[in-house]
Amino acid sequence: MDQPVISIRDLRKAYGTVSVLKGISFDIHKGEVVAIIGPSGSGKSTILRCINALEPITGGDVLYQGQSVRKMKSYTDLRTHVGMVFQHFNLFPHMSVLRNIMYSPIHVKHEPKQKVYERATGLLRKVGLEEKKDVYPEMLSGGQQQRIAIARALCMEPDVVLFDEPTSALDPEMVGEVLTVMKSLAESGMTMAVVTHEMRFAAEVADRVIFIDEGVIVEDGPAEQVLMHPDNPRIQSFLKNKL
Amino acid sequence: MEGLIRIMQKYSSLLVSGTEITLLISMITIVFGLIFGCLMALMKMCRITPLRWFAEGYVAFIRGTPVLVQIFLIFYGLPILGINIPAIVVNGTDVSRVVSGSIALVINSTAYICEIVRAGIQSIDRGQTEAATALGMSNTRVMWAIIMPQAMRNIIPALGNEFITVIKTSSQVSVIGIAELMYTANTIRGISFQPIAPLVIVALIYFVITFAVSLILNAVERRMRRSVR
Repeated sequence: MDQPVISIRDLRKAYGTVSVLKGISFDIHKGEVVAIIGPSGSGKSTILRCINALEPITGGDVLYQGQSVRKMKSYTDLRTHVGMVFQHFNLFPHMSVLRNIMYSPIHVKHEPKQKVYERATGLLRKVGLEEKKDVYPEMLSGGQQQRIAIARALCMEPDVVLFDEPTSALDPEMVGEVLTVMKSLAESGMTMAVVTHEMRFAAEVADRVIFIDEGVIVEDGPAEQVLMHPDNPRIQSFLKNKL
Repeated sequence: MEGLIRIMQKYSSLLVSGTEITLLISMITIVFGLIFGCLMALMKMCRITPLRWFAEGYVAFIRGTPVLVQIFLIFYGLPILGINIPAIVVNGTDVSRVVSGSIALVINSTAYICEIVRAGIQSIDRGQTEAATALGMSNTRVMWAIIMPQAMRNIIPALGNEFITVIKTSSQVSVIGIAELMYTANTIRGISFQPIAPLVIVALIYFVITFAVSLILNAVERRMRRSVR
């Protein structure tokens, strides 16, 4: 197999004396959809935040296309290639939907406006919100905001997109519309790492499921195996509580 | 009432030039106070410890001492430190005194604006910084393109309050002989032998200015709110 897009090697993260990640290792290959599941506070989100250097690493390393994140002098290049979607959407409230999406491609990647505009409207069409391009985020529902946030991440043309509990802050009736967008993104071949509590989504869409508990990987394997026939009692009890 | 109007007419040129100088000093103070206040707020939040200490000490000292003392300290202190502002007289106004008074007021309002701006910046959700950072923006760009515009919207009311305070505080520089409104009132009291009427007149002028400013600020606030909708 060719070089993984992201390779996590013995990743450790501690806040003061509290150890959150205690040696995590796994690879994400091109086109793969990896679901990261596990109880709250197990360090799932922290893994994603270490991948794009939002959190400094305590030990181990993260390699992006073979380059060590620890040795990077600037993270700009890394972050323009690694998109992120947040639990609370984090759209910029003082910018219109279109400007939210177009800002970074224009100002960080220095792409021509017209080209970005065409891509942005195309993405808005894809997430079904083309008619909302000129409104401000606060006029939109949570589900709509999250779809815009996905379009914003995609407009950077990333190699991989990290989803940090993208549906956890949504009202139940809005979860579906976001998952649909994510599912079609996965089908289009996008490389994705998704921290989620949506077990059905993980089972349907993910190629691989990684179960994390107390800062270590308990199980890493095909979705079918981890979710349907788990050997580990911790996963069994976790899944029982979820259903 | 008739007396007031008579005095206003008789000393109109003095009152006009006093108003001009009050407006000039207030404007200088607001513009530079806002610039330095923003920089001071950034210093107060930055990771470089000596800069942070400087900003913290600055704000504590300036807020903890009377503006009148600060005005005198600058006026008499600058020449002692070897900083001499050349005495140029334009239209009967000693520019060096205006400069000295303005410096004192800028120093003073910088401390207050710093605290207002800092509170505004810190009121913005951390997620905004994270999202912008994750999109590859530099720290500087995150601050000026994402955080500051949102912070500014939140602090307009507090900032407006400070602007009005600056206009009123500018009356204190009359003590170093700047012929702004308050000084003009005293001048007119002296030459007209009217103790009260000139004070009533300048009080009205101050009120007209500050009321106009607050109306403008209300309009700005409404407009900024609308732009988000």
